[in-house]
Amino acid sequence: MDEHSHTEPPSEPTLRIKALESLLVEKGLVDPGAVDEIIELFEKRIGPRNGAKVVAHAWADPAYKKRLLEDGSKAIAELGFTGLQGEDMVVLENTPAVHNVVVCTLCSCYPWPTMGLPPNWYKAAPYRARVVIEPRKVLAEFGVDVAPDVEVRVWDSNAEIRYMVLPMRPAGTDGWSEEKLAGLVTRDAMIGTDIPKVKA
Amino acid sequence: MNGIHDLGGMQGFGKIEREENEPVFHADWERHIFALLNLTIAAGQYHVDEIRHSIERMAPAEYLMTPYYVHWLHAAEDLLDKKGVVTHAELEQRVAELAKKGGK
Amino acid sequence: MPALPKDMVEIAIKTGASARAQVTTAPRFKAGDKVVARNINPPTHTRLPRYIRGKHGVVQHNHGGFAFADTRAHGLGDQPHHVYSVRFEARELWGDDAAPRDAVYIDLWEPYIEPAA
Repeated sequence: MDEHSHTEPPSEPTLRIKALESLLVEKGLVDPGAVDEIIELFEKRIGPRNGAKVVAHAWADPAYKKRLLEDGSKAIAELGFTGLQGEDMVVLENTPAVHNVVVCTLCSCYPWPTMGLPPNWYKAAPYRARVVIEPRKVLAEFGVDVAPDVEVRVWDSNAEIRYMVLPMRPAGTDGWSEEKLAGLVTRDAMIGTDIPKVKA
Repeated sequence: MNGIHDLGGMQGFGKIEREENEPVFHADWERHIFALLNLTIAAGQYHVDEIRHSIERMAPAEYLMTPYYVHWLHAAEDLLDKKGVVTHAELEQRVAELAKKGGK
Repeated sequence: MPALPKDMVEIAIKTGASARAQVTTAPRFKAGDKVVARNINPPTHTRLPRYIRGKHGVVQHNHGGFAFADTRAHGLGDQPHHVYSVRFEARELWGDDAAPRDAVYIDLWEPYIEPAA
């Protein structure tokens, strides 16, 4: 299987989607302008930079962090990130004692307003099958080594609550602006498959 | 249902393949089926739960071997036909028309 | 319902469609309760994965009431239930070879669980 096998369709779906879209537009069920708008929204405007801002703000402001952990949806909404597939948010704090990682074993549930659309690996079978049963091995493949005395919590987003990890703030970032802090926060860190690091 | 989608704990899937600098959408067909499914939900045609169940009913081998957004196409075709909104016959006819015109 | 027009797309996405719903009955469970996931095998839609069924866990939190996926998928209505965050020890799920400290947390609608003996 070449690396594109999960993304390159046989030609038929391309034609079928064109056919479907033309019928839906003709029947007045889909506005063609809305098609372009929703694509642009998710391709250009909504993405993990949103979540990085939430994380950076929590690192910089202890009172915000407290609100974020108490009521994720409400606190995330303070920064203007709301809506589809993120209506009910819970934020999971990584600590020296606990490492959190998120999955949707049954499909691909993911918090869109803070993180945009999920990467293919999150939606494909290997991650979904393996992370609940061998999280440490999976994390090690991602370059995250968890010490034996740290508890790994795997959160399966099987219902409508959406989860986001609040990673630990790395050392060596005292006095950094929120913008600079946000630059450290990768998408994978908010899934739990990465740890923010200050580049040497 | 005890479908192929219920993957938690299964073994033998091997390495987690990751694409570096993966784009949000790999091709226009992904963009468009993403848009169509979301907009038809917004138009009240079905709930996300019906979509998930439709995908769960894909043939197991097909589920595992097809790209992610092909699952969304499966659900859209299945549910729109079930609801009589876009029948399989209508869709096949339109596909044939577009193929004849040389659409790809 | 008519097509969502272009100028309503952003507001619709930012509003979303929460599945939260009012439950009229008192919750059966509370944080700290020991529960067991039911062994159900419906041919219809469920969000109770096989790896959790029949396993013992501890309720962490009641998220509140949500529309029930199992019924909504089949046009049987929202039928809201309380949804609980439940913790399952890795060794309970996978046996003694699992890491001793690790756990899976999953969200279970009330019909998915029973009090553990």
